[in-house]
Amino acid sequence: MTAALLTLADSRLPAGGHTHSGGVEQAIAAGVVHDPRSLEVFLRRRLTTAGATAAGLAAAACRVVRSPGDSGPPGDDPAPGGAARDGLARLDAEADARTPSPALRQASRQQGRGLVRVGRRAWPTTLWDELPPHPHHPLALGVAAAAAGLQPTDAAQAAAYLAITGSATAAQRLLAMDPITVATVTARLTSDVDAVAQHAVTQHAADQPGPDPAWLPADTDPLLDLLAEVHAARDDRYFAS
Amino acid sequence: MRTLVEVVARAGPGGRTVLPVVRASGQLAVRRTGPSTVHLVATAFGPLGGDYAEVRLVVEAGARLAVRTVAAAVVLPARGESPPSVQRVRAEVAGVLDLRAEPTVVTRGAAHHALLHAELDDDAELTATEQVQLGRVGEEPGRWTGTTRVERAGVPLLHTTVGLGPGAPAWLPPVAPRAYASTVHAGRALDRATGTDAVRLPLERGWVATAWGDRLAATLGRLALLEGAAPVEEAL
Repeated sequence: MTAALLTLADSRLPAGGHTHSGGVEQAIAAGVVHDPRSLEVFLRRRLTTAGATAAGLAAAACRVVRSPGDSGPPGDDPAPGGAARDGLARLDAEADARTPSPALRQASRQQGRGLVRVGRRAWPTTLWDELPPHPHHPLALGVAAAAAGLQPTDAAQAAAYLAITGSATAAQRLLAMDPITVATVTARLTSDVDAVAQHAVTQHAADQPGPDPAWLPADTDPLLDLLAEVHAARDDRYFAS
Repeated sequence: MRTLVEVVARAGPGGRTVLPVVRASGQLAVRRTGPSTVHLVATAFGPLGGDYAEVRLVVEAGARLAVRTVAAAVVLPARGESPPSVQRVRAEVAGVLDLRAEPTVVTRGAAHHALLHAELDDDAELTATEQVQLGRVGEEPGRWTGTTRVERAGVPLLHTTVGLGPGAPAWLPPVAPRAYASTVHAGRALDRATGTDAVRLPLERGWVATAWGDRLAATLGRLALLEGAAPVEEAL
């Protein structure tokens, strides 16, 4: 644990995440989320599906731009021979395949772009140049982690954590919930966040001899897809997703 | 128990499809039931926890293949601590593949993993439908996990894992459906559409539609509303 990880997962990092509700705005409209208990259920759902998938991708992106086996701070030299760029392009395609909802794809790429914008300034390195234009958020997160000298596990942790905090804050605002209650709900989920991040990293390591991203976690929740698409069609929404 | 099914469909004379390889061992038999249709027939009760079935399908350019089953598969737990049963479908498609098994019913205490991995040529066509019911009538639900990975010309088109049943991550009240159905199609594009407990998402030259609910019949009805054009089988 380093302060860089805390900075990366801090909601005050101006990466644009505050304009997204992670589906919770529509979940509230649909009556799925209405109190702390139902919010916790929703967050758990999101964490173990979209969060797990994002964690796997973020860890893989971090690994791709670090030299394999390197456990020290990264230099400015990405993996040689364009391998980092090719690897990130492959991961971006894997992220697309795991995000068939157009609304969720757009939300992911918007947040990816926002993170690149602040990350380039906060942790300047040429690693950012290896990302495709408008990368999916987990890829930007993986590169940010590498740029900040963090490990793939840290990237997974940040991705899993961010999968619930944006939704928690949005629910607090939309339902005018007690901030202490929402903080308690989030705190109760931290061991699950750790478990999801750990699983996303070990599953990849155990199943693959090499860096084949094809069998990274792909957990999905059709309910989140439906909520995202219904939400995107509304013109009276507060949040972008 | 290990089960292996292999079917190869090849373009024959006059635009017909020939099936040079049709073989099965283990708990499934395979019967040719139409010019380009095979039915899988269960030769034993089950699958049981711990059973592994692999279905390898090759549809060469210009060939068509429809794969059906004759009855619902009722997944039962093995005695004691039951491991999941696994069914893996591996498809290499250059022609047209239409895959629609009868429902999988996962009984109380059983867990089933279904994997579909389809590798498509650039102009291949795929329609694959999955139908799941957790628990028989009046019975507690079992666990079902379905992974679908479709690649076209080496690029992943769709890769999702859905878990259903008690203990599955995204199976939490108030949305914990006992019935689930999904169709993935590669070939013709359809735009996004939403319905009650049903959603269709566009893929590059394709789409994926999913519906869920308490009962399979109603769920399939809502899925059909999103499937748009006539299914491929009518053209075969």
